[in-house]
Amino acid sequence: MKKIEKEKLLRHLEEKGNLVRLDRARQDPLSVTKSSHLPQEELLLLFRINGDKGVEIRVPEGRGGKILFGVSPCEARAVDLLDLTFLRDRIDPYYKRKREDNVLFVLACNKPRSTCFCTSFGYGPFSGKFGDVFMVDIGDNLLIDPVTEKGSKALEGLELEEATPSDLEKMESLKRSAEGAITTVNIEGISEKLKKMFLDEIWADLAFKCVNCGACTYVCPTCYCFDIQDVERTNWGYRERVWDSCMFPIYSLETSGHNPRPTGVERMRNRIMHKFSYYPELYGEYGCVGCGRCIRACPVNFDIREALETLKEVEVAA
Amino acid sequence: MRENAERNPLMPEPMRIVRKYDLTESVRFFQVRPLDTQRALTLNYKPGQFMMISLAGVGEAPFSISSSPSRPGLLEFCIRRTGKVTDAIFGLKENAIIGVRGPYGNGFPFEKMEGHDIIIVVGGLGAAPLRSLVLYALDNRDSFGKVYYLHGARKPSEMLFREESFELMQRDDLICLLTVDEDDTGTWPCYKGVVTDLFKYIEDIDPENTYAAVCGPPVMYRFVIDELVKLGIPKHQILMTLERRMHCGIGKCGHCIIGSVYTCLDGPVFNYWDVLHMKDLI
Repeated sequence: MKKIEKEKLLRHLEEKGNLVRLDRARQDPLSVTKSSHLPQEELLLLFRINGDKGVEIRVPEGRGGKILFGVSPCEARAVDLLDLTFLRDRIDPYYKRKREDNVLFVLACNKPRSTCFCTSFGYGPFSGKFGDVFMVDIGDNLLIDPVTEKGSKALEGLELEEATPSDLEKMESLKRSAEGAITTVNIEGISEKLKKMFLDEIWADLAFKCVNCGACTYVCPTCYCFDIQDVERTNWGYRERVWDSCMFPIYSLETSGHNPRPTGVERMRNRIMHKFSYYPELYGEYGCVGCGRCIRACPVNFDIREALETLKEVEVAA
Repeated sequence: MRENAERNPLMPEPMRIVRKYDLTESVRFFQVRPLDTQRALTLNYKPGQFMMISLAGVGEAPFSISSSPSRPGLLEFCIRRTGKVTDAIFGLKENAIIGVRGPYGNGFPFEKMEGHDIIIVVGGLGAAPLRSLVLYALDNRDSFGKVYYLHGARKPSEMLFREESFELMQRDDLICLLTVDEDDTGTWPCYKGVVTDLFKYIEDIDPENTYAAVCGPPVMYRFVIDELVKLGIPKHQILMTLERRMHCGIGKCGHCIIGSVYTCLDGPVFNYWDVLHMKDLI
């Protein structure tokens, strides 16, 4: 690993482009990393309505990339999970453009919160394989290591020092204390088990206190559902996409009045199944990164870790 | 950026309404053609697929394609007036321009269906996607064995493509059976009763060698499937189109997810075997 003064790196990045600092305060509850790739509201098409002559439709120009500085490893991993949906089959051009333009500077997480459980998913607060550049704050300096080519390019022209053995030792000790502070939920086999639990009564118990506010899905860095809406002005208009939530009753309501997920029980089941059973089935990865945002945002204290423990304990006929 | 704009999957193509007429009190038939003539002739799709129709500033909604790719140049849709977008579409006259994108979804698996007998079972608005299949089968008549077309509606006035179905009855290369739950006109020339009553007229098919296609209101499926299973048709050869609230059409927005399946990519045509393994489906 290399080493650099933080201020020097920031000055370099400021010159490079649109720098967004995420390292100064905790980015909570909303994930800036998610909204930098999938904004809460995003213009898809612009319309100019020319009376009887018809409608002129164009795609808005991109705004150029951002340098996201201080992304936590869990959020960077979440973007990798979004890729699985947005860059498969018919590629989403809006997402792809942002994904290509944005540069993610990941900062190892020295002080995890009590709600963190990232270590349950086979990585941790010091995992250096996500984003474009991996950094560790060792106090006076940053240890730094490019992950992708895009990351190396962003560091071009900078003089980096070699990290000394004592720097690396510092990192190791920070890593140990961070990892030690995180609760690990043993989720081994949960996706296979959930497949047999679709009709289990436990979902009613789990959904009992949920008020279907959707906060968990809005703050979740891997939740990506959106609605497409049109807005009309006098002689122009636009089509935009806005975040939607599978926890809302109208989310799955069809025009005919039929609703395949009519109550909170089906919706709770769908949210948990999507992250812990359908995602692994489709992509071989869990759809959760263990950031704990949903736990902090929930108005009725629904704790996904407790839910997983409960689900693990339910006895299922083989 | 330019390149992105050209391949943008959410960008609708302008199409002109060339013809429209009412099929029933609330369902209207629309014939549309892409403004680009070349595109009109090369536009390819499969029966069972759907397209997104939009009006700028109003919104988008998914509709099954009712026309058959074997009759190129025009796209046809049956649209029921039921919401904001369909209200606006009903307000349009001939020659109006609408935005259309697609086709989306898997469509019927013709490579597997060819060489088999076909039973098509329609209830109500289910005629919208299955008409495409009927026309396609007739236009490629040699590729299929026997073709049965069973169509049930509540009343004679609510039967979609009523006149067209009467014409089908005149043909000797397909057996068209029509029924209504209740005949309020007193002049209905065909059967009375629910669509499952028509199964007794199906004869001389080789069930192992038969594909069935079903579309109708949610309550219909269980009864029709029971009958098809009784006939001895294998589960994976019973096909049904099951729509969800499709929104983006490209497997992103999440609305049409059933388990790990996106209706807009892996559906809307599913076989009974799939349905038994996806409890959320019907």
